[in-house]
Amino acid sequence: MRPRARATLLVLWLLALAGLGWMVSQRLKISTDLRSFMPAPTTPDQRLLMEQVGDGPGSRLLLLSISGAAAEPLAALSQGLVKALQHDPRYSQVRNGNFDLAALDPQLLPYRYLLSSTLDTQPLDEAYLSDQLQQRLDDLSSPAASMLKGLLPRDPTLEILKLAARWAPAKSPELRDGVWFTPRHEALLLVQTVAAGFDPGAQQHAIDGIRQAFHALPGSAAATLELSGPGYFSVVIGAQTRHQADWIGRISTIGFIALLLLAYRSISSLLLSALPIASAALAGIAALTVAFPEVHGITLAFGFTLLGVAQEYPIRVLSHRRAGEDAVQSVRDLWPLLLTAIASACIAYLAFYASGVNGLKQLAVFTIVGLLVAGFSTRYLLPYLLPRRVRDVADMGWLVQARRWVDQLPRPRWIPLLVAAAIVLMLALAPGPFWQNNLAALTPVPQALLLRDARLREALGAADVRYLLVLEARTEQGVLALSQTLQPKVDALVARHAVDAVELPSRYLPTVALQRARQQKLPDRATLDNALHTALQGLPFRADLFQPFVDDVETARQLPPLTPERYAQTPLGQRLAAMLVKRDGHWLGLGTLSGVHDVAALQALGPDSNGTVRLLDLKAASESLVAAYRTRILQALLVASILLVLTITLALRSLRRAWHVLAPMTLATFLVLAVERVAGIEISLFHLVALILAGGLGLHYALFFERDTGDPAEQRRTLHATLVCVLSALLVFGLLAWASIPVLRAIGLTVSLGVAFHFCLSILMAPHARSRSGSGGRSEKSAGGGQISDASPVHSGSMDQEAAEIWTAQMDSQPGQPRPGRLQSKTDWAALIPHAGAMCLLDAVCMWDEHAIHAISAGHARADNPLRGERGLHAVHLAEYGAQAMAVHGGLLARAHGLEGARPGRLVSLRDVQLFEEYVDQLDDHLDVHAECLYVDDGGAQYAFRVEHRGRLLASGRAAVIHPHGEPVA
Amino acid sequence: MATTSASEPAAASSSQALVAALGQPAPAHTAFAEARFLKILDRPLVVSGQLSWLGGDKLQRRVDRPWQETATIADGEVTEQREGKRPRHFSLKRAPQLQVLLDSFVALLSGDAARLQQVFEIRQSGDAGSAWTLNLVPREARVAKTVASIRVDGIGRQSRCLYMQEADGDLAVDLLGPLAAKMPAEPTRAALQALCQGTP
Repeated sequence: MRPRARATLLVLWLLALAGLGWMVSQRLKISTDLRSFMPAPTTPDQRLLMEQVGDGPGSRLLLLSISGAAAEPLAALSQGLVKALQHDPRYSQVRNGNFDLAALDPQLLPYRYLLSSTLDTQPLDEAYLSDQLQQRLDDLSSPAASMLKGLLPRDPTLEILKLAARWAPAKSPELRDGVWFTPRHEALLLVQTVAAGFDPGAQQHAIDGIRQAFHALPGSAAATLELSGPGYFSVVIGAQTRHQADWIGRISTIGFIALLLLAYRSISSLLLSALPIASAALAGIAALTVAFPEVHGITLAFGFTLLGVAQEYPIRVLSHRRAGEDAVQSVRDLWPLLLTAIASACIAYLAFYASGVNGLKQLAVFTIVGLLVAGFSTRYLLPYLLPRRVRDVADMGWLVQARRWVDQLPRPRWIPLLVAAAIVLMLALAPGPFWQNNLAALTPVPQALLLRDARLREALGAADVRYLLVLEARTEQGVLALSQTLQPKVDALVARHAVDAVELPSRYLPTVALQRARQQKLPDRATLDNALHTALQGLPFRADLFQPFVDDVETARQLPPLTPERYAQTPLGQRLAAMLVKRDGHWLGLGTLSGVHDVAALQALGPDSNGTVRLLDLKAASESLVAAYRTRILQALLVASILLVLTITLALRSLRRAWHVLAPMTLATFLVLAVERVAGIEISLFHLVALILAGGLGLHYALFFERDTGDPAEQRRTLHATLVCVLSALLVFGLLAWASIPVLRAIGLTVSLGVAFHFCLSILMAPHARSRSGSGGRSEKSAGGGQISDASPVHSGSMDQEAAEIWTAQMDSQPGQPRPGRLQSKTDWAALIPHAGAMCLLDAVCMWDEHAIHAISAGHARADNPLRGERGLHAVHLAEYGAQAMAVHGGLLARAHGLEGARPGRLVSLRDVQLFEEYVDQLDDHLDVHAECLYVDDGGAQYAFRVEHRGRLLASGRAAVIHPHGEPVA
Repeated sequence: MATTSASEPAAASSSQALVAALGQPAPAHTAFAEARFLKILDRPLVVSGQLSWLGGDKLQRRVDRPWQETATIADGEVTEQREGKRPRHFSLKRAPQLQVLLDSFVALLSGDAARLQQVFEIRQSGDAGSAWTLNLVPREARVAKTVASIRVDGIGRQSRCLYMQEADGDLAVDLLGPLAAKMPAEPTRAALQALCQGTP
């Protein structure tokens, strides 16, 4: 390819990448909600978990503490923060202990008579009013008078304060300056986010909002705001994991680049080989954005890990290039094997698509598209850009020795048996449970954070994150009714200290029926006026003072009962909405618990209620969900394995060869499992994904080691490529194995072990590298020929060694009898030359007759000309062109005489060779190769040959050939 | 009110001397009788009991009649304990009257003129040798929104009356010490004014 064309291709490729990048940046919406990566839930508890856990009131709570200043400024900050966050749509609830009447919408104030339980036991009659008014009078002379004074005309019975007390947390922290304080002198706040607790992205957004609001407050610089709670933990852990992964990633990237530079000594090769990977990643994401509305962050993380396999493609191309060979040609030679590897991986990942889990589907789309793009761009784009001159790695001394050492390794047949036995033994002896179902164990929250969380939670009496009381009914009202009937039982449990506090939905809103009943008990205006008038006798209150009260009661009598929808506009209504969930035509009420001491007593609520009430253990539900997820992955893996066996067997068309590829891969995979289990590691989803990546890499090693080219140089290149791949994988994942975060360690350790085991086993179980005498088709022979040509720069010097082969023209089974004439297609005579592929130098026979042949060749200018040396194609090699023309002539002649069977020939002399050019690869037109038979008999022949370019003589000479076995010519 | 035209530093030093002269060691107890004139009521509310300064910012207001109730102010929090009821707690911030009472009463009992100066704008008439009046206007706007002003009447080293004028027009008059016993059954503003201004 000419430089301009190369530059154009490169620019086009980069433009395409930029275009993809732009599209991705426009369309990509990353979802961080862990639940969308979970399998479809099957049990009711799992469904509730999926729908609610992240959303559950407990997991959406953020606990805030402000410290570092005196009580008064801290309280002011606490109040300021509440004010700032109260009407922010990101938070459904912000509390700091200061009950604000604004929590109840002024328009809803008349509803206090329907919400408060006063009327259940106490009618608004004269006796009650008289007693209440007397008490208010007492209040007015108390220090609290100024607080009450404004309330009295509208609410002489103080229903609002009763509701405030009802809605205050069961166990309140100490109040100082009107806000909650911990014993350690920190102001405490509770913030409930609208976003799910398991959605680190949304939680981050919510937390950022809190921090911003805090820093905007005057005096916040001196104080410290600290957060806690499940949502905060998910953010912290995500950031820590990312930080460590980034840090390790940077080091290993530098190492990786250094390794590739060392291996290939070419910066341009290195940069160019990054293009297929970049294309793969971008194309993968672009496909995801087209196929799915939102892409899960975990899909991307896992996907990039799995895409590591694709780095092998360019590495293979770089390592397998022969000296002087065109990159296009070397890719062409590798392509069948690469295609097998790509196809196997893609087919295997298809099984993940079939798993039905959204996250796995995305993973499948991403990796399949990515691998295909990486593979095809490596095949059809990359080689046209790679530098034309490269070093053939096969000639490196250490590699020759390494290959020899590898070839000499004993390969006893019992190795698979031994390894299998070891695996079984290790698995049997492994301690502890096999599976790790608690995903959180892989991303542990730092101990200090946990302790602080426990302290704040204790101080606040905040809801338990693990347990939920679930109330189920056909309608919303049914749930509220159930909640009302449950309340006394729950109160009894609280009294028995089975649990510190329970918050049920009916705490915030009674049923419509109960509200109606209370409405019925409200006196009409005349009755109330009467009762009030009598009650006021002898009291100093002004006569018309309580008119607003009478009006409110009258309003309350006419009100439509409050429903959750109407209520939802207020902060309290939002708190209620979080506790009521509709699902499948059913309604669920979620009761939160604080300080669970007796799980059994709470569980006993279930049987007593005919199953309408149950205690949900979120931890158990999430673990069963993880187990279900794992089952899906394992099923997908099983299907993938079957598909893999079929693909490999079909591609290699041999069960025996498939065995050599698949057996080491399988054994290595199980060996990793067994070693990790013996080390006491419990296997998690992350281990499984890492095993799949290692398996993909192992497939490559095994495929390439299994390939017997019969060519030691090619075997050396295979070893080189594999070593580069193994070392780079070990570098990247080995570093990850030292991470302090278990999830990174799990992936790093598993892939490192996997790569090492796959490498060792695929070498040890590869079929013995055979010498060139091995069975073989033409390709193996041609590779051998090419290799010898490579090894000897002056071709004529090796003629004798090769003599036995060169003239072994196979002239069997040719259809029809070729006649002397013009222009014969290559297939007609190619078999007459003992070379194939690139080593068949002639392109066409233009004319031949009894005495002479005229052939043409255009291959001299090609970069992949096998005879080409460091500086180009030396004219001395034109003798080989002449010799091949002689061979073709001899063969055609013999065939014309009806001779069957091979005619071994030996080139015995080369005389009067004259060269008129030094290098011929720059000539732009084809070469004309002429050979003229000077003499022929049964024992041999003598030819004169000449090679011309546009009529100008380049080389000429004479050559003699003998047929050692003296077979008759005709 | 002859000296109200005195220059500000002179008034400050004079009130400083007066307040300093009022100081007593903690704990200091004094009987009180309070009449509250509230707009929402036709008649004033009357209670009586004992006010105690327990040192520092601790103040106790014990009501003995017509019912029993104790309110304690400590560490910025008010605890209200009434017979047969659970104690009530609330922040001092939410009861500006109490804040003002605390600031003025404690400053006067402890003779802490500086504190008084810090919280209130002070106008003084008369001096420690005879009958005197201190007019205190809260400097903090938030407090002034509820409590417009305080007036303390005294003779010699004795505070006798404390008027708390609320911004909404309501008024509380506390008779202190021996004067507390003289609270009429049905007080009027004028009668109390006469009591406070009169000779003991």
